[in-house]
Amino acid sequence: MTGDRRIWLWFAPVLVVLGGVFLIPVADVIRFSFSDATLLRPITGYGLDGYASAYGDSSLPVILRNTGLFTLLSVVSLQAVGLAIALLLVRGDRRGLYGMGLLRTIVLAAWVIPGIANGLIWQMLLSEAPFGAVNSLLRLIGLAPVAWLSDPDNAMLSAVIANVWQGSAFSMIVFYAARRAVDPVLYEAAAVDGASPTAQFLFITIPQMRGAILVNTILVTIQTLNTFDTILALTGGGPGRATEVLSLNIFNRVFYSYDLGGGSALAVLLLAISMMLTLVYLAVLMRRGAR
Amino acid sequence: MTPRIGDMLTYLAGIVLAALFLMPLLWLVSLSLRTPAEVYLGAARFIPEAPTLDNFRLILTDRAFGTYLWNAVKLCALGALGAVAVATPAAYAASRFTFRGKGPLMVGILMVQMISPLVVIIPLYRYLDRLGLLESHASVIAVYMAIGVPLSVWLIKVGFDAIPAALEEAAAIDGCNRAEILLRITLPLAAPALASAFILNMIMGWSQFLVPFILLTRDGQLPIAVAIYNFAGSSSASTTQLLAAACLVAVVPALAAFLALQRLIVRAIMAGAVKG
Repeated sequence: MTGDRRIWLWFAPVLVVLGGVFLIPVADVIRFSFSDATLLRPITGYGLDGYASAYGDSSLPVILRNTGLFTLLSVVSLQAVGLAIALLLVRGDRRGLYGMGLLRTIVLAAWVIPGIANGLIWQMLLSEAPFGAVNSLLRLIGLAPVAWLSDPDNAMLSAVIANVWQGSAFSMIVFYAARRAVDPVLYEAAAVDGASPTAQFLFITIPQMRGAILVNTILVTIQTLNTFDTILALTGGGPGRATEVLSLNIFNRVFYSYDLGGGSALAVLLLAISMMLTLVYLAVLMRRGAR
Repeated sequence: MTPRIGDMLTYLAGIVLAALFLMPLLWLVSLSLRTPAEVYLGAARFIPEAPTLDNFRLILTDRAFGTYLWNAVKLCALGALGAVAVATPAAYAASRFTFRGKGPLMVGILMVQMISPLVVIIPLYRYLDRLGLLESHASVIAVYMAIGVPLSVWLIKVGFDAIPAALEEAAAIDGCNRAEILLRITLPLAAPALASAFILNMIMGWSQFLVPFILLTRDGQLPIAVAIYNFAGSSSASTTQLLAAACLVAVVPALAAFLALQRLIVRAIMAGAVKG
């Protein structure tokens, strides 16, 4: 069927659906970003006002700082936790230990919980009312309660914790698959040479899994940048703007302040970051494929 | 370190991790079984002394909650079905034919996966508003469908790749035409891949908040994820136990589907992450 034009018929449904819901809207978001439209009022003129107002907004540095911090902390912790559990599972499998499947199931169960429910669950856990789970536990063992959600720094930490609880399973699965693909002969040879477990981890596991870690870092970064429902339900972006990340800011700007031009200008930024990361991801995949 | 000590440490770490990951859900269960008086006792009453099912009775006999659950099932099931239906021909062509532009096309489909629904929901809202299609489940289903398509194409392609072309060639020699081959041989053999794409899309759709929150406003149309967010906004400390029960009701269907189909889901994540 090489060169046959009819081949595109097979792709027609996909192209129509993705074109209508993604490609045309993306083009339009870029157009809106140069316009003075609001959510309800049509475009009356074009210009850079949207960019000027959105990028000149005094709150933007804070939003970007929050986004950077939330993404960095999330991506590092998601992968550290995911890697630790994956390595634990592999060791348990190898030694024939009990309950490894159960551990995997428990971690994965959190992954299917909707982001909104995740935010609400952690709000109940971290509630600063006298009966909040974590604080009342702290009091039971004689420690002072912590302002988990009303203190700006703690609120950021709480958002990261909720995100990591829900999201680690993805990294765990990716790393579990990657670790099992490492040739066991490498470890046998290292053991014969007397390498300690730490040395084996640093000089075999990490280098062999480098590709998986790189790919996973990019995927998890994109996922973290693009979602905000956990934060919305947990803190609503507060206290003040302490946990308001870029995607939540766009959401508020467009759907509560009706500032379509400014919201679109920031959506273009979000899109540009995602696409840049995707290109890096594709370059990595192609290099691995070529090898 | 002897292997025995290593095993003990592995068990210890496994138990600690399992407890940490399980605790939020157990706390939710604990809250949802309490009376208001026991909610105020916090962690000291982790196991309620007077457990009650009243909270669930209130939530589940509320007609509105039944509607929210039904809406969520309807939206995510039809969205997932649509995504698989649209993705299957493309996945088949990508698996079986070679043609100019295939590489860039498949990469393009993958790139769509990385676009946040937040970016496209802004123009979509305007289009649908102008067309008078806001407040419609069909619009939401179409968006769910599109969100699910990229991953579905890749997952189903991997499934088709695993079916030997020789089987199809044999059927062709026996006189089957391409449509018959596809319906009688290839699709039944690809059923596990189709099923895992469907399930993964269902779970993603169940979690969706942004799309229905923006496109639907009439209370009777909302799916459960939006409903519990609204419910949380109107609840207070004295109704924490009800919110917990409502959250549990929203979470349990996803958990049950996951527990029943875990193998398919894990395989799908691996195929999606490693290949895609």
